[in-house]
Amino acid sequence: MVIFLTRLINGISLGSVYAIIALGYTMVYGIAKMLNFAHGDVIMVGAYVCFFAISTYHLNPVVGVLLAMVVCTLLGMVIERLAYKPLRQAPSLAVLITAIGVSYFLQNGAQLLWGSNNKMFPAFLKGDALQLMDGQLRVSVTTVVNVVVCVVVMLALTWFTGQTKMGKAMRACSEDKGAAQLMGINVDTTISMTFAIGSALAAVAGVLYMSSYPILVPTTGSMPGIKAFTAAVFGGIGSIPGALLGGLLLGVIEIFAGGYISTQLQNAIVFAVLIVVLLVRPTGLLGKQIREKV
Amino acid sequence: MLLTVDNMNVYYGAIHAIKGISFEVAEGEIVTLIGANGAGKSTTLKTVSGLLRSKTGSITFLDKDIGNVPPHKLVAQGLAHVPEGRRVFLQMTVEENLEMGAYTRKTGADSHMEKVYALFPRLKERRRQIAGTLSGGEQQMLAMGRALMSDPKLMMLDEPSMGLAPILVDQIFDIIKDLHKAGTTILLVEQNAQMALSVADRGYVLETGKIVKSAPAKDLLNDAAVKAAYLGG
Repeated sequence: MVIFLTRLINGISLGSVYAIIALGYTMVYGIAKMLNFAHGDVIMVGAYVCFFAISTYHLNPVVGVLLAMVVCTLLGMVIERLAYKPLRQAPSLAVLITAIGVSYFLQNGAQLLWGSNNKMFPAFLKGDALQLMDGQLRVSVTTVVNVVVCVVVMLALTWFTGQTKMGKAMRACSEDKGAAQLMGINVDTTISMTFAIGSALAAVAGVLYMSSYPILVPTTGSMPGIKAFTAAVFGGIGSIPGALLGGLLLGVIEIFAGGYISTQLQNAIVFAVLIVVLLVRPTGLLGKQIREKV
Repeated sequence: MLLTVDNMNVYYGAIHAIKGISFEVAEGEIVTLIGANGAGKSTTLKTVSGLLRSKTGSITFLDKDIGNVPPHKLVAQGLAHVPEGRRVFLQMTVEENLEMGAYTRKTGADSHMEKVYALFPRLKERRRQIAGTLSGGEQQMLAMGRALMSDPKLMMLDEPSMGLAPILVDQIFDIIKDLHKAGTTILLVEQNAQMALSVADRGYVLETGKIVKSAPAKDLLNDAAVKAAYLGG
């Protein structure tokens, strides 16, 4: 029972990070209707920025995270402006391949700038673990922080898309760009804003991911990126609650698969579950049925 | 003139959809473009509102050339376009749809919403409802109400009667008359030529991308050729 609960908690902790990353995929998909495969590598850039801020410049970790968010926000907007905006009218395959290209560009750029050696991300979340059930069940500070950040991000985004003018304009754009333009909404600005928000979240997720898996290399972002993409599809791409549900489920499945079945098959099991879900529910768990307009 | 379109030519790839048309709308008028399916009526409206571009000529609105102005900037200048098929935001509530209509307004959105609700009491009853759950007629009202939220000087309506039961068509046209009385200038595109000509001051007949006739609406209603082609004999 204790082992089960420990694994469940670890799964939720990892899943919270996936959920935050998945939000970036799902929001960009919802509005720009594209899969931004470079999203995972924005995580890596965020992690490096925070790493240098803490290790090299000895800044406060909170400052490091904020700095990473600023850099990633700008990076996300620049990527959108230079790589994706010119392809707004292009076939989706061209955009997809471009996104993969941007991903490689970021990975190789990072290698050129910062080298390919492992960097050990400093443990910055210090403090005693919470002791539950007479000390048998321990909940680490990392877990608490992951879950709290995830909940705060979800609530903030729900408020933003539901209550603010800009957030509502985003929803309008994701439904019908032509009609949104006729309302006076600048679609380009809205798409740029979406990339900014998604990339800022990627920076946060990158730092959180590092506190569980502290080895930092230029390809660090690709695995959590692809898993979070899976989570977004799993929950229903384009849906914010779907990203949360998909992220949490994926994290739990991953930890359970590693714990109860085999650590070697862990990733294979995660992706197998995705395949099964897509066979049964092609739009994901919370995805809307899409009717093609004729 | 409120709107002057001069020598508009629009292409879809190699297809020449609009072939050098010119027309104008004066302040306070209801002007209608009638014509068969595929004549280019919707294309004309989309080009005026900037969703499509004319290769030649000019589009002048309130003495400004708007031929190269992006569509999202035209709303603030007083041009509202209610697109074909209503295109309300189906996953947003009625009230949120109206808020989007007032997106470019800095002030006065709330009091304007009350005006729109007064015009469409049905929308007020359903203001918390998701637009996708409204009937076709209610969605048309919402699309028109949404456009009115920007307090437009010119409202372009594309096929407001499409897919509606006759009683609702009458209702929609009554509203168009009310809006006109209240001082809104309207450019109306319709396949229901009878209805359109009965409310309009002037009409243009569009055939395969060309204007083949322009006259006061009353004259078009009595024109033998128009009767035979568009008014069921």
